[in-house]
Amino acid sequence: MLQYKLVLLGDSSVGKSSIVQRFVKDSFDEQRESTIGAAFLSQTIKIKSPNKDNDQENDEDIAIKFEIWDTAGQERYRSLAPMYYRNANAAVVVYDVTAKDSLNKAITWVDELKSKVDDEKKLVISLVGNKIDLISSTNDINESANSPGRQVDLLDAENFAKEHNLLFHEVSAKTGKGVRDVFYEIATLLYKQKLEDDALNKKDTNENEDRSINVALSRPSTNDPTSCCS
Amino acid sequence: MAVVKERRASMAERKPSFIGKESPMIIPHLAGMEDPLPEKTPEEVDVVIVGTGLIQSILAAALSWQGSHVLHIDKNEYYGDTTPTLTIEQLTQWVRNVNKGLIPFYTNAQIYVSSDKIGKNYASRDFGIDLVPKVLFAQSDMLTLLVKSRVYQYMEFMPLSNFHTFENDSFEKLTNTKQEIFTDQTIPLMTKRNLMRFLKFVLNWENYPEIWEGYSNKSMAEFLSEKFKLNQTQSSELIFSIGLCYNNDVATPQCLQRIRRYLASFDIYGAFPVLFSKYGSAGEISQGFCRSAAVGGATYKLNTALESYDPTTKIVKFSDGSKVHVSERVVVSPTQTPDPKSKNIPKQNYKIHRLVVAIEKDCKQWFGEQESATVVVFPPGSLNGENFEAVQAIIFGSNSEICPQGTNLWYLTSVEKGENGKRLLDLALKTMLKSISRESIEVDDNVVKFDNKTGSPVINEKYLKEELNELVEPKILMKCYFEQYTSTCPFSIAQPEIFKTQKKDTTDDTTNGNKDNGVIYSPMPSSEISYDGAITAAKVLYETIVGSDDDFFDVDFEDEDITTTNNNRMSYSESAITDDEGEEDDIIMKN
Repeated sequence: MLQYKLVLLGDSSVGKSSIVQRFVKDSFDEQRESTIGAAFLSQTIKIKSPNKDNDQENDEDIAIKFEIWDTAGQERYRSLAPMYYRNANAAVVVYDVTAKDSLNKAITWVDELKSKVDDEKKLVISLVGNKIDLISSTNDINESANSPGRQVDLLDAENFAKEHNLLFHEVSAKTGKGVRDVFYEIATLLYKQKLEDDALNKKDTNENEDRSINVALSRPSTNDPTSCCS
Repeated sequence: MAVVKERRASMAERKPSFIGKESPMIIPHLAGMEDPLPEKTPEEVDVVIVGTGLIQSILAAALSWQGSHVLHIDKNEYYGDTTPTLTIEQLTQWVRNVNKGLIPFYTNAQIYVSSDKIGKNYASRDFGIDLVPKVLFAQSDMLTLLVKSRVYQYMEFMPLSNFHTFENDSFEKLTNTKQEIFTDQTIPLMTKRNLMRFLKFVLNWENYPEIWEGYSNKSMAEFLSEKFKLNQTQSSELIFSIGLCYNNDVATPQCLQRIRRYLASFDIYGAFPVLFSKYGSAGEISQGFCRSAAVGGATYKLNTALESYDPTTKIVKFSDGSKVHVSERVVVSPTQTPDPKSKNIPKQNYKIHRLVVAIEKDCKQWFGEQESATVVVFPPGSLNGENFEAVQAIIFGSNSEICPQGTNLWYLTSVEKGENGKRLLDLALKTMLKSISRESIEVDDNVVKFDNKTGSPVINEKYLKEELNELVEPKILMKCYFEQYTSTCPFSIAQPEIFKTQKKDTTDDTTNGNKDNGVIYSPMPSSEISYDGAITAAKVLYETIVGSDDDFFDVDFEDEDITTTNNNRMSYSESAITDDEGEEDDIIMKN
């Protein structure tokens, strides 16, 4: 199974956590599994292998596990720790389509992100406009009364995303619209990236002599030094 | 100890919505969905913690998971306060601030940065330099808490098995397993037997008071020589490399506890006693606990300083103009006090000398196989007979991810009294530099290869040339020295009294004018090379605030990954540094 770290970014109250919750809950068939913990949410999805020689036989599923890090509110005063960004493979940068300035703020988060990660070229970033339910349901009197409607132009966001090579979606965490696509698209792209990397690295796989070992703290073990290390 | 306050409501009682009906486990505060976060600084919190150092961060997480609303601030732009992991640029700025007098309890900070390398071959942020480097014993309260709190999931850990002792002008790798003792040709048979006898004893030392009681107030060296007939070399290794003690005066029971810490940690995760966290030591763990606290509901605000606290109105004012009402306590790092001259700050009587050096050199020959760190100890007297205290060094290679490939970070620490500390650290550094240049030619297998067919040695000229070139001492990329003060004397935990001094002042208005009346000061980092003592200090603070430490991290995250084996192994006292009560219990216990 391939595992990737995905971080959420964006200002407070744009609905970052809601998007993840929607994604995780929907895919969990109601029954919440035991992956929820204090650290992060884990979610495994299956994508179709985008094989070149295509069709028939090779349409096996590829399991992609996301380790999703929420900001836990530490973004509110721009107090995210380096630990948060470290080794992130993907980022979902969220703004609120009904809040005027929120795209601009999302843009500063993209900059911040790029300045914090080691290899920004490899990082898959998806720009996501949330809360489209608040603009599409204008026929609902209650909602439209409280909601300012669309404040961020779809084209502006789309253009920005294109310019900076970001994926782009508008979603509603409330109704679930578009949420799934965000993560499947990221998974597909990460997998594609992996295949390309593998092809490049094939020649010099032997140069890995300097591999160091990590210790899995959750698995103490005696007598068998190999079983504890990954 | 303290007057026990009425136990305050636990997490479960205070926030029942957090607990699932069918199971008692706690799920994280998933900010945003059910409970939209407020935009501004909260107006009312239970506890304000100022400074995001290791002990404060553990405290913040413990309080948050207990159900307290914590506002955790730091005047710096980074996490860690007294225990941060810094880039070279940040460290340079930090040194500047110390010299401007902006950071109390640090003096004599100096830094050299190689201008032809840093910023050219290497970037400032390729380095993660800890002000307080530490290693993690495999059996320790910190490791248990990292697992229990799940903070370990934010981090990566690597093993460290090689301990070197500098003795008689050379570096000896420690002989520390039974197997190694058996097979070591250099140890005489009689000594082997004595060593084995001692190792067997020390694992259950409290059960044999008849052996050590007469030495309660005598030195460990005396004890080892008289009771186990161990010579100076053996006892020095036991006391300073395995026990990681500082000087010959350490009392026997304390030293026994520390030696056992090492031995009991062996073979828990593999054939090594300690681990270290990648990307930084205490700075990394501080960040981890802060994140845990945030998940538990704490509010974080960097770049914010404490302006004042009024214990009568319970209003805290911050540098950004905001205010908050505190229902319980304000905990402040001495380095972030609003009034550095305040008499409320506990005396920081003990000096620690620290030197950190980035070296352009591979030091693989000092590391264990597939490892990237080692501990080097200079016992008392080993530096031209001049040092009364041991110099302890931790060396990290680039796989620790705190320095770029081809470089190493060397951390040297001494608690030498007087003004000699810096010179002694420099002497130790010089000794190590000399040794690494010499060893690179003696040890490297690449120079001499054996012909597969004939078996005769073949000299690899290319390597020989390279190795000869390296006889020149490796280039120093960065070197930083400073002195830090602490109230925690070596080998001890923070004294609980220091947390209680200020309360009486709150009624005495004549002493007013202090901006810090009524706050609790957290302790400065101790000189301890491991994390021992940090959790004890956090617990004492916790108890001062909550009234009892019964529910300190009383959380139960469901997790299929964690086996219970870890708990079963805890047959010994987990920390070599325990509070006094615990230690007495240990000593009284008889068989």
